[in-house]
Amino acid sequence: MNPACPATRTPLAPTAGPVARVGPSRRPAQPAEENASRPPAAPAARAAALLAATLVLAGCATPPETPRDARRRGADGATAADRAAPAIPERDRVLHDYRAAATALRAGRFDEAKARLDDAIARIGGIITNDADAAKARSLFAAESTKTFIGEPYERVMAYYYRGILYWRDGEPDNARACFRTGQLIDSDPEQKKTYSSDYVLLDYLDGFASAKLAADGSDAFARAQAQAGESRPLPPYLPAANVLLFAEYGYGPKKYAAGPYREQLRFRADDSPSRSARLVLDEGRLVVPLPAYDDLGYQATTRGGRVMDHILGNKAYFKASADTAGDVALVGAVIASEQARRRERHGKDGDDANLAALGLGLAGLISKVAAAATRTEADTRQWDNLPQRLSFAAVRLPPGEHRGRLEFLDRDGQPLESRAQSVAFTVRADERDTIVFLSELKR
Amino acid sequence: MLPLRQRLALAATAASAALFSGCATTAGVQNPSGVPVTELRPDERGTVAGTGIESNEIVTITDKMARSILGIPQIARAQVPPSVVLEPIVNNTRFPINKDIFLTRIRTQLNSKSAGQVSFLDREMMKTLERERELKRSGQVTASADPNKVEFGGADYFLTGKLDGLTTRTSAGTSDYVLYSFRLTDARTSRIVWEDSAEVKKQGLEDAAYR
Repeated sequence: MNPACPATRTPLAPTAGPVARVGPSRRPAQPAEENASRPPAAPAARAAALLAATLVLAGCATPPETPRDARRRGADGATAADRAAPAIPERDRVLHDYRAAATALRAGRFDEAKARLDDAIARIGGIITNDADAAKARSLFAAESTKTFIGEPYERVMAYYYRGILYWRDGEPDNARACFRTGQLIDSDPEQKKTYSSDYVLLDYLDGFASAKLAADGSDAFARAQAQAGESRPLPPYLPAANVLLFAEYGYGPKKYAAGPYREQLRFRADDSPSRSARLVLDEGRLVVPLPAYDDLGYQATTRGGRVMDHILGNKAYFKASADTAGDVALVGAVIASEQARRRERHGKDGDDANLAALGLGLAGLISKVAAAATRTEADTRQWDNLPQRLSFAAVRLPPGEHRGRLEFLDRDGQPLESRAQSVAFTVRADERDTIVFLSELKR
Repeated sequence: MLPLRQRLALAATAASAALFSGCATTAGVQNPSGVPVTELRPDERGTVAGTGIESNEIVTITDKMARSILGIPQIARAQVPPSVVLEPIVNNTRFPINKDIFLTRIRTQLNSKSAGQVSFLDREMMKTLERERELKRSGQVTASADPNKVEFGGADYFLTGKLDGLTTRTSAGTSDYVLYSFRLTDARTSRIVWEDSAEVKKQGLEDAAYR
């Protein structure tokens, strides 16, 4: 079943009900002979009503069941894996991949995180055109959330950022760099001013650092990163000899919500986390590695600029408001015409014309109100809900072997938040490959 | 002429149709369905940006490189089939990719098409091979030849390459140009004895629902 349909149908009933009560049906009863002489309610009017209802409900066509759906439903040929797999709508697959990847990464299940991110990137990495769900999301009577989810730019950037970390962990800094570059490209917005476009500090910094590791020139990327960070935040110079790369994240990421009179505006709420910075204390305090916040996803989410889809949702909202107003006007007109007809009939005059006018206006009003109620203006608020707020990085050179320490999160005054501190242990590789340590304040 | 009530009904229908005709949500949005990705000649000027590296390019490019390598005198006229070692290629594009796929396909093409004109040394197996040799030397496993004799082959040539990319993004879409270049380097002289390249440019604009 198309999950969009119930949501589309639901608003129709409560809105259509009251409208029907004030329509032409309130016409006073006529004498039996008069009713007999009058033709039954105009067939053309009924046909028009039927046509309008068909138009309104046309958007609710249920797509044919896919073989995968059928298998999950328990039809013949269902495998154990099919039955075990939770029924995730295909359009939400990337969203589930995102969440599961972040959870796996934090739990140290790197292969699972890779598989999930690769699955997501296979969908978000291309250019989506001529997509039926996307077309439906742009239509009046389907919500934006009917489209396949790929996320807002800050979410897609994070998919590439995490995948880049995992590529680096596998000894492929050039592929990691490719991910960071694509992330920065996703954050670019040719429609908006350059101010907030491609402004992730870490993505440029890591791009250059990967180049430095590959014995190439990373100075341009470093300069871009420094420009994004500002003069007040000098970035550490590249240390190609570093063999331990620390990726840290803390705080809770931005949350989406729908605003506006018709919930047509996508907005982000970015609550500032108490964890403003972090540091890794190693080898019983002999080495302290600062992990300042270089990027803030709340900032990134709220500064990306508008979407073309916002314009479409705005048009939907405009239509909804206009149709609703037109419906009100038509229905009021129908009531007035009906009243006029009754008045004429009380005075023994012919009220047919006024009655027909009332019928026509009532029908038009009804269609308008139904169309307004069926218009889905809500912005898509599906979200990658286990993202961090702040991203940090540090590179150090450590002797091979096991290292233990303590990860401390600091408040705005630089004081440790004791309840948030974590014990950390990792083993530095003895070969040429970099050791990647992923540190997260988030538990899942 | 139609009766009054039918005219009224038709007028109501027309009014409804007019209402719906004005309800296009994509008014003012260019290419709401997006523009399908199209492949262009590298020297052709596109209107925008593109997408990643795909299998058809890998096939076309590695076929071209394999044919090109077999045509050079150092391979075609060599008295003894030269030994080649593959070195990982470097990805300088914005597309993460399984880089080994290029060299693996060039190697398989050369091995299947060259009829012994060139041989490849399996350096990926070196650790396994060394371990096996040590087992033979220690007498833990049998040996069909003297295990103390050095028989691992040395490289005559190194085959490697790199992928470079250039990305453009405008309001009209995204365009990606990728240059695939491969080279064969003489292990003794460090001279590049062969080099060839291929280029692909793509562009596309995603559906308005994703912009």
